[in-house]
Amino acid sequence: MSTPGPERVPSTVKVDKTSGQGKPPAAKSGAKPGGAKGARPAGGPKGKGGGKGRKPVTPVKVSGGRNWGPIAVAGVVVLIAVGIIGYGVFASIKGGGSWEDRAGGIEGIVNYREQKNPQIDSQEHKQGPLTYVTNPPVGGAHNSTWQNCMGDVYPEPIANEYAVHSLEHGAVWVTYKQGLAADQVAKLQSKVEGKDFLMMSPVANLDKNISLQAWGYQLKVDNADDDRIDQFIKDLRVNATLEPNAGCSQGNTTTGPVQAAAPGAGMDQQGN
Amino acid sequence: MTVSTDSDASAQAGAPADGPASSGAHRFGAGWIALALIVGILLGAGAGFLGARTMGVPGDTSAEAGFLRDMSTHHAQAVEMSMIAHANSTDPQIVTFAGDIALTQHGQIGTMHAWLRDWNLGPTGSEPAMAWMPDAQGSVRNGLMPGMATPDQLATLRKATGKDLDVQFLTLMRQHHLGGIHMAQAILDMTDNEDVRWLAGSMVRGQQSEINLIDSILKRIQTG
Repeated sequence: MSTPGPERVPSTVKVDKTSGQGKPPAAKSGAKPGGAKGARPAGGPKGKGGGKGRKPVTPVKVSGGRNWGPIAVAGVVVLIAVGIIGYGVFASIKGGGSWEDRAGGIEGIVNYREQKNPQIDSQEHKQGPLTYVTNPPVGGAHNSTWQNCMGDVYPEPIANEYAVHSLEHGAVWVTYKQGLAADQVAKLQSKVEGKDFLMMSPVANLDKNISLQAWGYQLKVDNADDDRIDQFIKDLRVNATLEPNAGCSQGNTTTGPVQAAAPGAGMDQQGN
Repeated sequence: MTVSTDSDASAQAGAPADGPASSGAHRFGAGWIALALIVGILLGAGAGFLGARTMGVPGDTSAEAGFLRDMSTHHAQAVEMSMIAHANSTDPQIVTFAGDIALTQHGQIGTMHAWLRDWNLGPTGSEPAMAWMPDAQGSVRNGLMPGMATPDQLATLRKATGKDLDVQFLTLMRQHHLGGIHMAQAILDMTDNEDVRWLAGSMVRGQQSEINLIDSILKRIQTG
């Protein structure tokens, strides 16, 4: 960032001075890292012999001498400019970009946020059963209660209406086709259990083996060994929240469909 | 000899200064420009790699980042247990105490996430839990870090009432704090980052004093 600038600027000044004095074969300027490259061809074909020792420097043909000052300055300016570009290249390769950029780079991920679908974008609280445009849902109106997403592993399907509220809080919801092989389920479970802002449940009529949801994002894969699962969790967990610093505890911890209860009555005190 | 050369040179330098500029540009050559480009890109990339270190910002696999991520998860469960006790306990001292823990630790989660964000890191690392902590292999069981309650213990806590709830909560939280202090002490041994040291130091002191409080409340409840 700012480091390369100040470092190279002083050398500019020195090189400038040396060549400004009009000593093309100057052995001194050769010591400067920046100036060295520029100064060598300065001596031209003849300067080569005299460039090293300073004894018989007679054959200096100054007529061919160029004013190296501006060239050196221009060279250093180019170096700095390219250095900045180099840093930019580094930063983009290293993944210094936003989480949205990184999420967008996951092969096969669907970004529903950019579709601007009001049914998915709605953050309204509504009680009772709701319908969603994707299966599993990735956003939209939801219950005022959220599903507990403290690394909870639910053995049975949970209510979409609660789960979508968890997505709004920043959770990643891992779902799998009900009846998926036990070893596949166990692998998914090991990624989820004990970790806040994650939860997992089976879905009855899922079209793929595994589907991951964050608010406005979905990724469907066939196998629990797929690297993209970890990538999705890494890039979207917490980051995808619409309510920064909202929590995952105090949610509903039961499975089964949404309760037709009055607002606020669906919390964990129900205890069933 | 040398002297005269020098004076010649300086004499010449004045006059032809205007002329050579254009011809110099030609002779500068594509080779040099390419070299400058390559050197510049390497320097810039190198500065980028070093930048994180020299600016004192911990990297993605640093112990500091690992600590903040793991402690956020650890804290989140303390908040979960405390909110259950805050909502369900009938003991005024426990209602207040549980609310204090929940607010403090939930706030600290926000601080820790914000630092990760400042460091241009995400809340989720690419390494498993506790990987940052030396000699911590095997300390994670079923995804649970030291001191954390199991899903069964939490389910039981949710259903408990009265003295049962109070004792369960205090016992679980005592265990939870011991694990948290252990992790905070580990990062204090590893980091020079002033922010992290400040927060981890406050956790060690705060949770130790809360353990003392837990012991005194437990004594009161169980003898009373």
